[in-house]
Amino acid sequence: MTERFQRGSLSARFGRPVVKLVLVLTLVFLAFPVVMTFVSSFASDWFGVFPSGFVTIQNWEDVIVGTGVGADVAVGSSLAYSTGLALGGVVINLIVGVPIAYAVARYDFWGRDWVNVFAILPLAPGIILGVAFLRTYPDLSTSGIALIIGYSLLKAPYMVMAVQSSFQSMDLQQIEESARSLGASWPRTFLTVIVPNARTGIIAGSIISWTLAAAEFNFSYIVYSRGTPPLAIFLFNNITNASFLNAAAAVSVFFLLIALVTVSLQIVGNRGTIRRV
Amino acid sequence: MAADQVSMGTRATGAVRTAVGSVVSPTSERQREIRRIVALCLPFSVLLVFSGVFPLTEMFRISFSESRLVTEGFTLEYYRTMVNDPYYRNIAFNTLWFAAATTVASISIAVPVAHALEKYALPAKSVILTILSFPNSLPGIVAAFMIIILFGNTGVFTNLLAFLSGQSRIDVAISTGVLGLFFAYLYSMIPRALLLLRGTYSEINTDAEEAARVLGATPLQTFRYVTLPQIKPGLIGAFILVFRTGLAIFGTVLILKGLLVWTLQIDRELAQGFNIAQASAMATIWFVFVFGFTVFALRYTSAEVSI
Repeated sequence: MTERFQRGSLSARFGRPVVKLVLVLTLVFLAFPVVMTFVSSFASDWFGVFPSGFVTIQNWEDVIVGTGVGADVAVGSSLAYSTGLALGGVVINLIVGVPIAYAVARYDFWGRDWVNVFAILPLAPGIILGVAFLRTYPDLSTSGIALIIGYSLLKAPYMVMAVQSSFQSMDLQQIEESARSLGASWPRTFLTVIVPNARTGIIAGSIISWTLAAAEFNFSYIVYSRGTPPLAIFLFNNITNASFLNAAAAVSVFFLLIALVTVSLQIVGNRGTIRRV
Repeated sequence: MAADQVSMGTRATGAVRTAVGSVVSPTSERQREIRRIVALCLPFSVLLVFSGVFPLTEMFRISFSESRLVTEGFTLEYYRTMVNDPYYRNIAFNTLWFAAATTVASISIAVPVAHALEKYALPAKSVILTILSFPNSLPGIVAAFMIIILFGNTGVFTNLLAFLSGQSRIDVAISTGVLGLFFAYLYSMIPRALLLLRGTYSEINTDAEEAARVLGATPLQTFRYVTLPQIKPGLIGAFILVFRTGLAIFGTVLILKGLLVWTLQIDRELAQGFNIAQASAMATIWFVFVFGFTVFALRYTSAEVSI
């Protein structure tokens, strides 16, 4: 028995180590640059193999306070502007996403699968929608309204998915019928019984679609024309125009934002949804 | 004859009126349910029409316009350019093979990773999962920056390679080449593929795998003949969605510029002289192709799309 085990096939001997190696390499590939970015944002220069001149907060200061050179702006105004735009998108997503998620989860109707596909698959990616918006709503692009409605369409699928996963864990028919038999009207049942029960999914969906809207670059780049740049445009300007380490600090600000969101999602307790982001 | 048409017309209007009437003031429980479904789907439909269907239709219309800035007349000029000009054909070819190659590469990496996550006892699994899903919330421009950190002129791997080969760092830096772009695509596509495949992997029937192993199959045979057939629908679904992602990548290419792809050319049409008609024609082709591809693939393959 032991002899047979030792002989084994090639895959019995090397299969597991090879698969583990792929896993480790993937982890390094994904995580290493993130760590390096964060570390180097505290360095004063990076000429050799590794950044040197620790610890300085000059890069962070340039990003947070702004350098005052040319049209450079501080991260604060971009962050605040993007926060507002993304919040607007989330409000629209709540209004459109929660009802349709309920319709698909609760009722059986003709064309339900296709409604579901349309609700979960993004209709068009940022750049295509951007070109369409540029043509259709040229006057809105300077005010930010175009960005808000664009974000809400682009990120609606994430809201629908998060809310749906909450609905799927509830016995919707029973809850609805109990409330109805106790005398609540259908709109009242939906608003005061169903929606509060799905709050975990709704909160998680709001956080996710907010983050993704704040991070949306392709659409913002095409539609944005002037005024305060949204966060993603701010990052782009830093990556292409600023010094390398300033860019590292700007990207690190963004990493912190994502980390904050991940932690808050964990507090909400919708772990399944985090992995879906 | 004419009377027939009139009566058919009135009958059709009548049918529509009854349908609308039953939604507005339902008389049976079934009709009330339909009214609820319509009410629930209405907000999303309004958003879809105003920010999706209407802008895309306008984009479609101006792509046939004779005038550059307003929709006027009808011409196929912009489409003819795309078909006849080898410049555009070349871009289309680049886009397709590059997206296909990166899709295949990212899924080939994501399958063993999903396998390890599902089957092996791994230390600090929640940390691993966080690292693997983190890039999903990063925009393409940040993925490009990650590649500059790794393979740029002062990148970590560039330094390592320069040290090992003895060449200058500029010669071994690949971040702005096709290979650098390839890695940048993988940076956003592997986590996406993984997300889809993990869902598929969690539904596998492990009894069959154990039985195969007990009956003497090697791990590779077990994977090939027992696991693979089970994950096939999920695998095809992942191919479709990741391929779509690959075709839509723009920010990454805008920074790294390794290869002229369709989305980058759309931006160039706008940046150089604001040729919105040509850009719209290109965007229309993109949209029709991807939409048709998705519908076709979901309809005629065993693909399972479970996001």
